[in-house]
Amino acid sequence: MSAVLDLSNVRKTYGALNALDGLDLTLPDNAYVALLGPSGSGKTTLLRVIAGFETPDAGSLTFKGNRIEGVAPHRRDIGFVFQNFALFPHLSVAKNIAFGLEHRDIDPVTDPKILHTRVKDMVALVGLDGLEERAVTQISGGQRQRVALARTLITEPSLVLLDEPLGALDANLRGRMRLELRAIRERCGVTFLHVTGSESEALAMGDLVLVLDQGKIAQAADADTVYNQPKSPAVARFLNCYNLFDGTLSGNGFVNPLATFPLGGAIPRQSGQPGYAIRYDRIAVRPLDEAVANDEVRLEATFVADEYSGAAINSFFALDDGRVFEVESHLSQTVPAALQPQSRYALVWKRDDALVYA
Amino acid sequence: MTIIAETASRAPPAVAAKKVSDKTLWLLAPGLLWMLLFLVVPMLMMVYVSFWTQTTFKISPILTVQSWVTFFTSETYLSALWTTVRIWLIVLVTTLLVGYPAALYVGLFVRNKTTQTVLLVFCVIPFWTSFLIRVLAWRPMLGKEGAINLILQALGIINTPIEVLLFSELSVIIGMTQIYCVFMVGPIAFMMGRIDQSVIEAAQDMGAGFWRIFRTIILPLTMPGVVVGAIFVSVMVLGEFATAAALSGRKVNLLGNIIVTQVGSLKWAFAAVVGVVLTILMGIVVAALLRVVDLRKAL
Repeated sequence: MSAVLDLSNVRKTYGALNALDGLDLTLPDNAYVALLGPSGSGKTTLLRVIAGFETPDAGSLTFKGNRIEGVAPHRRDIGFVFQNFALFPHLSVAKNIAFGLEHRDIDPVTDPKILHTRVKDMVALVGLDGLEERAVTQISGGQRQRVALARTLITEPSLVLLDEPLGALDANLRGRMRLELRAIRERCGVTFLHVTGSESEALAMGDLVLVLDQGKIAQAADADTVYNQPKSPAVARFLNCYNLFDGTLSGNGFVNPLATFPLGGAIPRQSGQPGYAIRYDRIAVRPLDEAVANDEVRLEATFVADEYSGAAINSFFALDDGRVFEVESHLSQTVPAALQPQSRYALVWKRDDALVYA
Repeated sequence: MTIIAETASRAPPAVAAKKVSDKTLWLLAPGLLWMLLFLVVPMLMMVYVSFWTQTTFKISPILTVQSWVTFFTSETYLSALWTTVRIWLIVLVTTLLVGYPAALYVGLFVRNKTTQTVLLVFCVIPFWTSFLIRVLAWRPMLGKEGAINLILQALGIINTPIEVLLFSELSVIIGMTQIYCVFMVGPIAFMMGRIDQSVIEAAQDMGAGFWRIFRTIILPLTMPGVVVGAIFVSVMVLGEFATAAALSGRKVNLLGNIIVTQVGSLKWAFAAVVGVVLTILMGIVVAALLRVVDLRKAL
């Protein structure tokens, strides 16, 4: 796979804030790339820099082999789908979609017949048939999303940036649009860079998942690798499925204020920040008096409450330092015994299941 | 079953509608009463008086069309009507030409809200002085020995003062443009401020240059502001008399000036005729402007 976009050492500061702090990034051609970042991680800034709405303070942007730092947004051949859709409120659905073809500086389409055909094809592609003459204020959120996408795709950009495209939709629609977006991208054969703050969205959608942390790409890998082998405690935290502990490595144990966790055979990962992570669904809850095997780690905590979500139960425990510790039990595997609130239990996991960072 | 359901579901809304309409009536009453007493009745009175018989110093309620005939057969009055329309159109265009770019700049290019407010306040500051002073202040500016002529002469651009600057139609237009421009800037800047920045960025991203975006996005979205501004300016300019009186040296006679003179010489019936003509003219202008944009939809 060849690269469509390459960012090298890109910096952007707002006052004292380093929104982008020497960011390197390579986007493959013809792929769905999900960019996961918590709010404030610089993800919107990154998109705006790529689209050309913001100028980076330093660094280089190479798009299809050409440097584009100084190129105006309307000459970049990069599409941008706005979080609030930013549709033209005074134009109909068809006029919104036709806008780019009709009014672009370079090579505008003036023949109304060609324009009509292209709009019709695009309307069919995103599934908006029959709504062409509606005002964009008279259609639903999901339909607006499709108009925004169609309007961008019709100019055939080589790269489409989507700024939290599903954020404005309700949960039901979000699920449907995920599949839809992936299908539309496959039909167009271009690269989508989909920015989101939701880890499940990023993992579900990205062929390649990028994790943005403090203005840098903390990890770039496929969804499975990111989920099972987060590169640093920070990445693990964004994934929202790991209990994390700060501490230090000492001999064959991980020392933190609560306990010393004995380590398994795996070599600790180098991340620059020591940490210990154990996935929510790799933990067993046992009575205090039950024995512990040799390859296990044990920690005591107070049960607080649990949350039933159909396929699983998430139980919340309070650790002795007051922090919350979460356990996820999949109901298809075990039916956990009912737990008594405010009672103490032993939380047990296999040494080798934990991720240790040095 | 269906019938029962229907009657059952229909009854409560009817009650609710009655309650609402009672409340609506009470809320509307003061406004309606006010409008009736101080707008509709005086207007009807004006129409009525315009048909009264006018003798030199007396007016009597004997119906006649004499005043109307005089108005529409007199060269003086018809030319005043034409002058009013001409000056109104010119001022409408000049306020738009001066006001729109200013509003575009303030509303769209100034991103900082505080700076925006400060700039708009600057537009309004002249209004803190009295209307008459603002008009009269143009005399030392435009006069034969006024600031503009002196400066141009000192710079050697002209040898003899430009006389047409003051006491001419030009001076009236300059004065009116300055006075009424802010009424154009306000509504347009308001509409500019309501344009989502990302809408413009989206148009940019799709490949459109500035002028394209201006023509296809910014202008249509600010049209309601232009129409509201134009209505403000039109209504005020059509009823104007003070600027013309102070800056034209009696060379420019607007319908407003004629009303002032006629009332001054106690010719009430004739003043009423001019008043009715002026009101109809404004009505036509406002109705025409409202046709341009559906304000209810746009706001």
